[in-house]
Amino acid sequence: MQHFDTIIIGGGPAGLEAAARLSKFDKHVLIIEKDPALGGKLLLWDKLFPDFASSEELLHQLIENIKNDNVKVSLNTGIKEIENEGGLWNIIDNHNNKYSAKALLLATGFDVFDASRKEEYGYRIYPNVITSVDLEKILSGEVSHAEPKKVVFIQCVGSRDEKVGNHFCSKNCCICAVKQAIEVKEMYPNSEVYCFYMDLRMFGESYEELYRKAQQDYGITFIRGRVSEVSPTYHGQVQIKAEDTLLSRPIRLTADLVVLMVGMEASEGTVEIGKKLQIGGNYDYFKSKNQHLADNLTYLDGIFVAGTSKRQMSIPETMKDAAAAALEINNYLN
Amino acid sequence: MKIEIIEKLKEDVRYKEALTACMNCGVCTAICPAAEFYKYDPRTICNIVQSNNVDEIEDLLNSETIWYCGQCMSCKTRCPRGNVPGMLITVLRKISQEMGYFVNSEKGRQQLAIKRTVGENIINAGYCVHPDIVDPDLHPEQGPVWRWFINNIKEVSPKMGAVYHQETAGALRAISKDTLDEIKSIFKVTGGEEFYKKIEHFSSEKAKDFQSNADYDYMIKVYTTDSGDHTR
Ligand code: SF4
Ligand code: SF4
Repeated sequence: MQHFDTIIIGGGPAGLEAAARLSKFDKHVLIIEKDPALGGKLLLWDKLFPDFASSEELLHQLIENIKNDNVKVSLNTGIKEIENEGGLWNIIDNHNNKYSAKALLLATGFDVFDASRKEEYGYRIYPNVITSVDLEKILSGEVSHAEPKKVVFIQCVGSRDEKVGNHFCSKNCCICAVKQAIEVKEMYPNSEVYCFYMDLRMFGESYEELYRKAQQDYGITFIRGRVSEVSPTYHGQVQIKAEDTLLSRPIRLTADLVVLMVGMEASEGTVEIGKKLQIGGNYDYFKSKNQHLADNLTYLDGIFVAGTSKRQMSIPETMKDAAAAALEINNYLN
Repeated sequence: MKIEIIEKLKEDVRYKEALTACMNCGVCTAICPAAEFYKYDPRTICNIVQSNNVDEIEDLLNSETIWYCGQCMSCKTRCPRGNVPGMLITVLRKISQEMGYFVNSEKGRQQLAIKRTVGENIINAGYCVHPDIVDPDLHPEQGPVWRWFINNIKEVSPKMGAVYHQETAGALRAISKDTLDEIKSIFKVTGGEEFYKKIEHFSSEKAKDFQSNADYDYMIKVYTTDSGDHTR
């Protein structure tokens, strides 16, 4: 049995940032990550909104910050058991290693909404319907794609939708679509780019400005209306159906590429641990003790939460939340 | 009168099922086959009803709009808020019929024809639609073969496996008197009979505007009048 001050479950931005902060407080930390690499969902993105910062560089920096004797990392590691014994949290992993710590930080993050659950959008049915995650790979050059003439972004896929059980707003997709629409336009200057939305929630710093830039400088067309379905055309394109709700008129648009802005859901790991420890809240995200006053605490002594395992957050929000969690844990340990 | 509209709306159980909180996304309109053809927008109807603005709701009851819906309920399958605009329409139609607003629109006045055809057929024949009651004059869309079919129905039916007017199981069978009596009493108890009377009453009031009574000619006239101003 190895002992640590804190065990962090999840090696994404939240886990890495919290580990870096705790190590500066001279606490011994173990990061347990189920995947073969650190970074979590950061690995799925090429550039970040709203400033087109490189996600690779950010990840590089986050990993640099944990390179010290206080932080250990265990990759390819799942959790088998979590139990409290005499005020200590004992963990058995899938390799049957045993660890213990006074504090556990759950940073198990989110999963991307599985777009094939919205069957009417044709993901995995029509090859020219892709998700925002797939598009990142095209934008980064990892995957190649024939030059599209018309590209349509569809917002709120898997969010604000009773039909898939997610009433919440995923918060990041609006601005992500603006970012990606600009990138598409830069990659294919001759393409026409459309974005169908219900509301554009441009609440963050310089989001609104980027939206304006997308319209003004890049000529991207924003249409207020939620898409009802995507269907194939005879010529191998796809046709989308929506209502232009500002004109009260149904419209159809034929496109070469449709990008589904997939939302966030509690990750598998979050759901699992939430059930195990009975700290699951709405939509299986972790429930913090008090959203206003104790947002990194849970109802269990010594169990802390940070980042998108709790609710939808952007990366800067996640990092701040992780820093706050590190502070709480440090206080708790002292 | 106007207060009554809101009361009638809110007390209808279908209203509570049909509309909770519309977010004006337009998915219903995008999928609605009627909206593609007619000047019709189910989203706007939800929005008007949701606004609680009684003047606008009254305008709806007087309008052509509520008669465009084909009641296919496609909108139910997709609404991300679980609303059913098509069912909201059924409630608005019922109020329009009960309070007599329907006679103020071209499509609304055609309710008389529906009452006298499909509506009465159920009671008198036990069928909504039966060849005997699909008058070739009223249904040009059936094509010329329809008149031939009606004229030769006795000979043709057996060839199509139908048991025209026979008291046995199968298509086009005669409906027994017991069953018809039962249908009549259901209509009486559930208010259907009263409802039909209202449609006749308001239609005959309206017929006076056309220097007529609500006779067959009037029915044919409202049934066939087309301003040509319904489609997009
Ligand atoms: S689909 Fe539902 S929420 Fe959207 S406009 Fe229609 S009724 Fe309103
Ligand atoms: S039920 Fe009416 S409103 Fe709904 S989709 Fe069908 S025609 Fe349109």
